[in-house]
Amino acid sequence: MKNFPDRDLEQLSAYLDGQLSSPKSAQVESRLASDPEFASALDEIRTARSILRKLPARKAPRNFTLTRQMVGLKPPLPRSYFAFRFSSTFAALLLIFTFAANALAPRVSLPAEQSFSFASGGSAAASKAPAEAPAPEAAAATEAPAIQAPSSAMAVAPTAASPAASADSAREIETPAVSNKVPVSMSASSNQSQVRHEALIPVGWQIGLLILGLISAIIAFVINQNAKKKWS
Amino acid sequence: MDELALIETAQHGDLDSFNTLILHYQDMVFHTALRILGDEDLAEDASQEAFISAFRSISSFRGGSFKAWLMRTVTNACYDEFRRQKRRPTTPLEPDTTDGEEMDSPRWLADPSMTPAEKSEADELEHAIQHCLNALPTEFRTVVVLTDIQGMDYSEVATSIRVPLGTIKSRLARARLRLRDCLRGFEELLPSSFRLEGESNS
Repeated sequence: MKNFPDRDLEQLSAYLDGQLSSPKSAQVESRLASDPEFASALDEIRTARSILRKLPARKAPRNFTLTRQMVGLKPPLPRSYFAFRFSSTFAALLLIFTFAANALAPRVSLPAEQSFSFASGGSAAASKAPAEAPAPEAAAATEAPAIQAPSSAMAVAPTAASPAASADSAREIETPAVSNKVPVSMSASSNQSQVRHEALIPVGWQIGLLILGLISAIIAFVINQNAKKKWS
Repeated sequence: MDELALIETAQHGDLDSFNTLILHYQDMVFHTALRILGDEDLAEDASQEAFISAFRSISSFRGGSFKAWLMRTVTNACYDEFRRQKRRPTTPLEPDTTDGEEMDSPRWLADPSMTPAEKSEADELEHAIQHCLNALPTEFRTVVVLTDIQGMDYSEVATSIRVPLGTIKSRLARARLRLRDCLRGFEELLPSSFRLEGESNS
């Protein structure tokens, strides 16, 4: 067979399949009538197509139907499943929070307690201010009222600092009276806060959250398994 | 079978509807994969992969020819299979010449130097045709399989393999001629009508 240009062969192939427009088909037909080699090329193409069409259609050796597992479909789950799963997750998060809170509370709360102490100390000072205000005036006349002032502070929280203060002269006590009270009240309040921090989130709550989380998780798991059994 | 209704329900995740479609198309899909890949086991794997992929992406089907859309999935699965094969060492279909270059013509299949085992394998016409199909470049083979074996029209094939219509025409013409060249080597296997047809026009 003569070697025809690709364009001619494409035309012949398309003509054979009826894919050419009417004018182009007419052109090809006139050339086929005048050029035997062109007609021979058409015959070659037609033969190849006929042989291919003769190929027996092979049936599928098995069914290719899909299962839900093959396509990764999940079974439809009831709403209760999501409620229990949420409950379980929420309980777990809360439980983690309680542990974190208990662990971090002493460190975080110290400055908070300090500010509380300052505030209470300030207020205490403010409340005592009228009572103490006459003290310096009285101290000028007699020592008795001046000595009473530190003794009132000692009554709130007797510490090592207060004897030192009481050992000093009344004049020394006069001016730093309020500032001397601050460390005293701080140490007292931090001791109280330590007692409070130990029971910031009670163990009972943690156990309750743990049980709630576990039960919710188990129920959610059972619902999921039942749904899978029904699905398959 | 109400194909559109089945497609619509399958698009909403109904696997049973999609399985009905599979039962309708599975022979065609397997046959296409077999002719493109030339191996039954590979064709089986590619067909299964094609259906899985088709189900997962059925929401992307926006109407038109479902057959053409499905054929695109099948040809993609076949190309994936070819890529997997490329990663593994395989025997080339076209032998190298003495210069170390790949032979362009597939006539080697009918070469008298073929081993007896190869000849016996090519005894049947179907095997001969499959050998000639295997000798075609993949893109030519895909076009000729979809057009001449599956009977799809040019536009459907163009949609399936996302290639311009002109390219389809060109590839088809060349593929047919190459096949005819190859099949000449198996003339004795061809039905007499084909031989006579060729002779009468020559």
